[in-house]
Amino acid sequence: MSVLAIASIAVQRRFGRQRIRKLLLGSIPFVVLISLWHANTVFEWLEPVFIPPIGDVWDAIFLLQEDCPGVGAAIALDNNCLMSTHVLSSLGRVILAAVIGLPLGIAFGILAGMNRIASKFLEPVGIFANSISGIAWIPLAIVWFGVGWVTTLFIMLNTIFWLMFFNSMMGVRGVARVYEQSVLTMGGSRWDVIWHVYLPGAMPSIISGMRMSMGFGWRALIAAEMIGGDSGLGFMIFTSAQEFKIEEVFLGVIIISLIFMSTDKYFLVPLEKWTIQRWGLVWKPN
Amino acid sequence: MQQKSKTPSLVWRLNKLLQINAMNLVILIVGVYFIWSITSSLIANPARYLPSPIAVALSSVDMLYKGLLPSYFSDTLVRLVVGSSIGLAAGIPFGLLLGINRTVADTFQPMMNFFQSVSGIAIFPIVVIWWGNSDTTVLVVILYTSFFPIAYTVLSGVREVPIRYIHAAKTLGASRYQIMKDVLLPGSMPHIATGSRLSIGFAWRAVIAGEMLAGREGLGWMIFTGQDADKTTEVILGMILIGVTWIVLDHFLLRPLEADTIERWGLVQR
Repeated sequence: MSVLAIASIAVQRRFGRQRIRKLLLGSIPFVVLISLWHANTVFEWLEPVFIPPIGDVWDAIFLLQEDCPGVGAAIALDNNCLMSTHVLSSLGRVILAAVIGLPLGIAFGILAGMNRIASKFLEPVGIFANSISGIAWIPLAIVWFGVGWVTTLFIMLNTIFWLMFFNSMMGVRGVARVYEQSVLTMGGSRWDVIWHVYLPGAMPSIISGMRMSMGFGWRALIAAEMIGGDSGLGFMIFTSAQEFKIEEVFLGVIIISLIFMSTDKYFLVPLEKWTIQRWGLVWKPN
Repeated sequence: MQQKSKTPSLVWRLNKLLQINAMNLVILIVGVYFIWSITSSLIANPARYLPSPIAVALSSVDMLYKGLLPSYFSDTLVRLVVGSSIGLAAGIPFGLLLGINRTVADTFQPMMNFFQSVSGIAIFPIVVIWWGNSDTTVLVVILYTSFFPIAYTVLSGVREVPIRYIHAAKTLGASRYQIMKDVLLPGSMPHIATGSRLSIGFAWRAVIAGEMLAGREGLGWMIFTGQDADKTTEVILGMILIGVTWIVLDHFLLRPLEADTIERWGLVQR
């Protein structure tokens, strides 16, 4: 056996054959795309105005960050540190919207799931609000709050809240009444029922709603920043496109998708799986 | 006990009344109408911030009279139908193709993951640089947003067809094409239906956003320019139309279609 074969077997044993196969196969389209992209710069099929050279996209990070005085200024969202300011302000909005919107949505969803009269009035409102997608609210939000932070936050909150509301409501409705009745029989209060029955019972639905609402919210946020924002990644790609700085647009798009993909893959999906494992109800009484 | 059931209490009657759904909706709409008009009469500059419902209704009459509303509405719908049907027509075969061969699927899945997380709205600035503020731009964005969800769902649908069925068809001497036509396509039908609804939902959002950003006439453009021209009545009218259109489309066309497909083709397996 040659050295190569031994090494290959060792690598396969260490990382798993299937995983390596998937990794190698999956990287083929990316390699092809990137080499096509590079070939385009070399042979100049399409002008650099339409497709920027890869090097320029990389350099754009440093060009945008060029005038930055230091780390302190970057954290303080200084206007000279464009790159970090845009990324951080987008992320800040996501976190703020999640911190406010998720608990509110869950609370109202549980209320609507528990109380039939509340749900009868809140459900049609929810259906309507969900079908006016987050984007359609942007013009009205600009009229109300002007261009800036509040508008973008409002759009994201709006998107998150209604999705979360719906998912928690459906989750609570799916909890078998036997559990609620047994807690009540044993002398539990209404609060006990919420805390020990509805919330854990609806947990899998709540967490998948969270994942969904973060996905939709992120999209809505980018759109809101483009139209009604004054900072953030959406704002960055939109203004760069108007100035025909396509390398910045490409950079922004890649960063947007990388942020979304990594949050989804390394945080939300594992959380969803764990919750279903921990809280998912397998047994359903008739 | 019997005495009570003969003369139902007021609360019971009220509850009974609330159980009728149509009644509920009417109460809700009337309630929203009152809250809306009271708020709009209380705030400082209602014409700018929250015009009363009557003003919105009047603006719709005005726009109908000028013929703007029907033209915007049909423009948007045509865009949605054309864009999403091309997207579906391309996405379904692509998903099926990926589904047949494991190697092909493993090759393309990570790339599809990547492109799915690049939302259509995010690539919008690039598309605008490539094609300018034209109808092509909006169409490309719609295509992009509707293609990936459907392809992805169809792929997972094909994956879920039990291998036994494929083996059974093979044993009976089916060709590759026959397996695809008679086993995989019907087997993934429920997923195709679900994915189509999802895709059309995404496409609808993309149409609105695309019209706003690319400045093509339509409902999205109407609410966007309404804000620019300080005509809040038009903005709210457009929003209501967008919401109602989607509800009608979703609840009376797409959901029944999906339910029927699942009922007809859904595999109940153990």
